[in-house]
Amino acid sequence: MPDASSSLVSPSLERADGAVRLRLAMREGRTRIETLYQRSPARVLFPDVPPDQPAQAVLVNTAGGVVGGDRLATEVQAGPGTRVTVTTQAAEKVYRALDVPARLVARIEVAAGAWFEWLPQETILFDGARLDRRLEFVLEAGASLLAAETLLFGRAARGEQMRHGQLLDSWAVKRDGRLIWADRLRLDGDIRAALDRPFGFDGAVGMATLLHAGPQAASFLPRAREIAAAESAEGAASLVNGILLIRFLDRDGARLRDSAASAAMMLRHEITGLSPTPPRVWRS
Amino acid sequence: MLAATTIRAGSRMSDLAWLLPLGTWLSPAYPVGAFSYSHGLEWTVETGAVTDVAGLADYVATVLEAGAGWADLVLLAAAWRAAATGDDAAFEQVRELAEALRGTSETALETTQQGASFVLATRAAWPGTPLDRLADGKVMTYPVAFGAAAAGEIPLDAALLGFAQAVAANLVSAGVRLIPLGQTDGQRTLARLVPVIARIAGQAQATSLEDVGTAAPAIDLSSMRHETQYTRLFRS
Repeated sequence: MPDASSSLVSPSLERADGAVRLRLAMREGRTRIETLYQRSPARVLFPDVPPDQPAQAVLVNTAGGVVGGDRLATEVQAGPGTRVTVTTQAAEKVYRALDVPARLVARIEVAAGAWFEWLPQETILFDGARLDRRLEFVLEAGASLLAAETLLFGRAARGEQMRHGQLLDSWAVKRDGRLIWADRLRLDGDIRAALDRPFGFDGAVGMATLLHAGPQAASFLPRAREIAAAESAEGAASLVNGILLIRFLDRDGARLRDSAASAAMMLRHEITGLSPTPPRVWRS
Repeated sequence: MLAATTIRAGSRMSDLAWLLPLGTWLSPAYPVGAFSYSHGLEWTVETGAVTDVAGLADYVATVLEAGAGWADLVLLAAAWRAAATGDDAAFEQVRELAEALRGTSETALETTQQGASFVLATRAAWPGTPLDRLADGKVMTYPVAFGAAAAGEIPLDAALLGFAQAVAANLVSAGVRLIPLGQTDGQRTLARLVPVIARIAGQAQATSLEDVGTAAPAIDLSSMRHETQYTRLFRS
């Protein structure tokens, strides 16, 4: 396991600087790769999927996790009419860092008439992890986005809680050049206290955020409320500036992840009629 | 500007004359409608999670230290600075971020409706503030509208302390009605929050817009659930 504090590892030499740039377009009735650039340790796989599901792009971090100072940048442009799911091959592990945070940046542009899903597997922040993550979605009028991110504060499966470290998790959604929704989650200092605070995280081991933007988003609020309430994790839904939001908190990491994944598939199916079958890589 | 037209018209003005607009604008009597918002507290009381002075103080402290109350102070400070220096591009960036940085529909309504009411009342009754120029048909959240009105005349540290205190007092007042608590217990709650207010007002002044962030998703969940609460006194 990479460990920035080990004397055998020099962070300045080991830092990763991965990048993916992917452009997708509609050709002959199918979503196809227009351009692809990938720089290690970032790679993309394109598994075949049945026609009742969106095309799939699976991001792979061949380094097996991120350490302080690592940088990973993902840029995707989804052309008019494309239908695609971008996910990850595995949960992203963010290891303990000495001082400099890892920086994960994604910029997603979605064209009119496209259905774009940003559904990575969960991000696991080890105790002492430092992460600066920026997600930016740039939507044309008439573009549709379904995004979900699950953050776990500590390796919950091992009973580890994140006690210290640093997190800035920033979301920005722009439509027609205007910022319509932003979210900035910040954890710093005594993270254990922040997570245990009754009106902060109420002892949750993680948080999941689901978001849908699209021409009919507002009409799905009643259904989103039902979906959030039906999952076993603590969840609720709202509509802000035309963006449909679902948030989950839970004291069980697996339940949180499964609730977010299930809610995302149900929303996809409700809104598009596409199959609610999750990407095969999620079943590992 | 405000000073020239309304405050320093006399020959011997107190140096503390800025306290007058500050006290007036943040008074519960100023027509912004603050009394109709509980910021998710109504749902939280309904569930039994807040029943006394300690619980109410913790809820309000979480809003101020880790929730939208904290973000609003950082946004207020950025709006104050941009308006005071006439940096319209920076002001527009704060205005837009403040509108977008909302976790639920009712907390968005809470700040945009109070902002709009504050702009109306202040432009009508207190002409000469930067609001005259900056609030031109665009959605203004409450902290940004207040920051723009205060810019250059009311010292930033006083504006932050006053705004944080007004947010706290309004939520405590909501708690007194909802739990319910006696008026004296309400005052005890507010007094208990003084160190929190003093600390975060100072921190907000030293925090850049880039570093703004929150950590209170449980309050967002309460606010979302309040949207479908069967019997409710409050709009948030």
